[in-house]
Amino acid sequence: MAIDQTTDRRVYSADDPIIEIRNAAVTYDEGRSYVLDHVSLELERGEILGVVGESGSGKSMLASSLLDAVPSPGHLTGEITYRPDGEAPINLLELEKADRRSLRWEDISMVFQGAMNSFNPTLDLRTHFEETLRAHDADIKKGLGRAEELLEDLYLEPDRILDSYPHELSGGMQQRALIALSLVLDPDVLVMDEPTAALDLLMQRSILLLLSDLQEKYNLTMVFITHDLPLVAALADRMAIMYAFRLVEIGDTRDIVENAAHPYTRALLNSTPNLDAPLSEMQPIDGQSPAPINMPTGCAYHPRCPLATEECRTEVPDYHEVETDHGSACYHWQASYDEVPLLHENSPGDTTGGVDE
Amino acid sequence: MSDNPLISLEDIEVHFTNENLLNFDEPETVHAVDGVSLDIEENDIVSLVGESGCGKTTLGKTAIGLQRPTGGSVTYRGEDIWAVRDGTATTETEWEDIRTSLQIIHQDPGASLNPNRRIVSILSEPLRQVNPELSRSEKRSRIYSLLERVGMNPPQDFAERYPHQLSGGEQQRVALCRALLMNPDVILADEAISALDVSLRVEMMDLMLDLQDEFDTSYIFISHDLSNARYFSGHGGGKIGVMYLGELVEVGPAEDMINDPQHPYTNVLRWATPDLALRGTGEPPMRKIDVPDPVDPPSGCRFHTRCPKATEACRQETPSDYQHGEQTVACFREDENHEYWDSPELTD
Repeated sequence: MAIDQTTDRRVYSADDPIIEIRNAAVTYDEGRSYVLDHVSLELERGEILGVVGESGSGKSMLASSLLDAVPSPGHLTGEITYRPDGEAPINLLELEKADRRSLRWEDISMVFQGAMNSFNPTLDLRTHFEETLRAHDADIKKGLGRAEELLEDLYLEPDRILDSYPHELSGGMQQRALIALSLVLDPDVLVMDEPTAALDLLMQRSILLLLSDLQEKYNLTMVFITHDLPLVAALADRMAIMYAFRLVEIGDTRDIVENAAHPYTRALLNSTPNLDAPLSEMQPIDGQSPAPINMPTGCAYHPRCPLATEECRTEVPDYHEVETDHGSACYHWQASYDEVPLLHENSPGDTTGGVDE
Repeated sequence: MSDNPLISLEDIEVHFTNENLLNFDEPETVHAVDGVSLDIEENDIVSLVGESGCGKTTLGKTAIGLQRPTGGSVTYRGEDIWAVRDGTATTETEWEDIRTSLQIIHQDPGASLNPNRRIVSILSEPLRQVNPELSRSEKRSRIYSLLERVGMNPPQDFAERYPHQLSGGEQQRVALCRALLMNPDVILADEAISALDVSLRVEMMDLMLDLQDEFDTSYIFISHDLSNARYFSGHGGGKIGVMYLGELVEVGPAEDMINDPQHPYTNVLRWATPDLALRGTGEPPMRKIDVPDPVDPPSGCRFHTRCPKATEACRQETPSDYQHGEQTVACFREDENHEYWDSPELTD
């Protein structure tokens, strides 16, 4: 069942990778089934990568793998290399416990879904920041200064926020405070797993704008994991699409949105309500995504794919190079353009949006 | 708008007061809904959109009689439902009948289905109430045919499962079936698709729209996502209402609201809705990110603290409703002669 997606490295390689993932796989039953199925990926220094997948597609596993934080008893294999600027590369999976502990948050930091659950309800925000700084032996006074600056960057009033308890803040404020907390130790990489899913759209969009400001100001590399493709399309430089625990397509955001070369990505784009697509044309994807214990043979998407052939049913497809830096794990990517036409392409591109009838 | 709406909300006001026994300070009053009037017709779809805490759920619950308003009136087919409830109405309409006609689907289907009961038993309950004369096998066959109708095949298999054995989408369909079996006139769908994967949302909305024709029901659809509201209302020929801090700031036919939004706040929501055209996202068309405290809402137009178009006049005076085509808009910009135009711009 395991496949090797490394043959054509060109499609996912970066010029100056800050993290290299090779054949990362997570199993909970000693290799009989995978919840992250041999994913290879390189993260470019200073880029924002959007990872898109439905519930149960393995996207959170990919996020946890980046910090070697797969929940027990999951077993992570493969190679994950972190390359700090101007220093020797570090193999994440072979680190001593103490080194791994300091690497997390100081070098690679993570924001989880649902800010409410990440805070201790009995401590005020200042204590959260102080504890974090103390645990990593950082200068508390300097750290708090940085915290105040970060909070201001996120349009929060530092004094008010630091003296508040989590429940005194709105969901949007909590989530922003959590982003500030995750950046207080000046990490290079920020991994965010559905950081805005519990918030309303307006707040999600505002946070996305702030994130792109932060990325520029602090020169961060970001991984943004979500099920909402259009949302992250506005932020990400590159996008990676996951289906059934595998990476099925990767490329520049514009290439993915306008020139998607995997039937699943195209179906996903067509199933998303969009103010610009004509009203009559949105289509759900038939069928369901598979469970890890019941993975179809060959390409996991073949039972739902209109292009599936015998080949798809037996052999897991490798990446096919669509263009430079744009790969699709599909035998029939060329045919997918005609077979699964993109609906949003036909709509007028002006701000008044698509007009129905 | 017909003369005889199914449900008519008039000048609804819902205030929640925090009465703390140990707190001798002035009690705090949250203005959840303030002065909202709205009609829901037969076979209508009204989508309510707005940010978290704007009062859209409270208004929805008020419309179906789950929340007693502190001011204004809710009428169902011309009857004041709270007068019927209190027994002060002079008609023969029963409170039970009204309650049966107004149903709800909640946001989290996992939490709204009893985990200890099989699907068949969950769905028998509404049938038992509405059609007590049905035999056991008649009930079963109705449940099976409805399960089949919502795409849960084979129904005999699904009927014997417990809620946790269903996916989120399937659970939500069961919740929809449960509401439909009451033969309701109105279903309040409170963020009913928000917990589903993006790719499943269209499917669920299509199903709800198909069933609307068969069951002759209206929907009040609550969402924070303008594109879902547009899809749902647009297909059913319905309206979209935009709420801000307890007030309805703009309401109109779905396509008009999307293509020609009049209120600056509707425009903000339109900006916030992601699109695939990837055109420059730019700065948000508002001055502040966070919503003011509903305990102490801003004076005048409540949006003036964030509105990019606000002037001094907006701070002082509350805009009334203006008609713009089929849209109703609460903004001075609709009135060419208003002093708004000569008033200094707010910039803080």
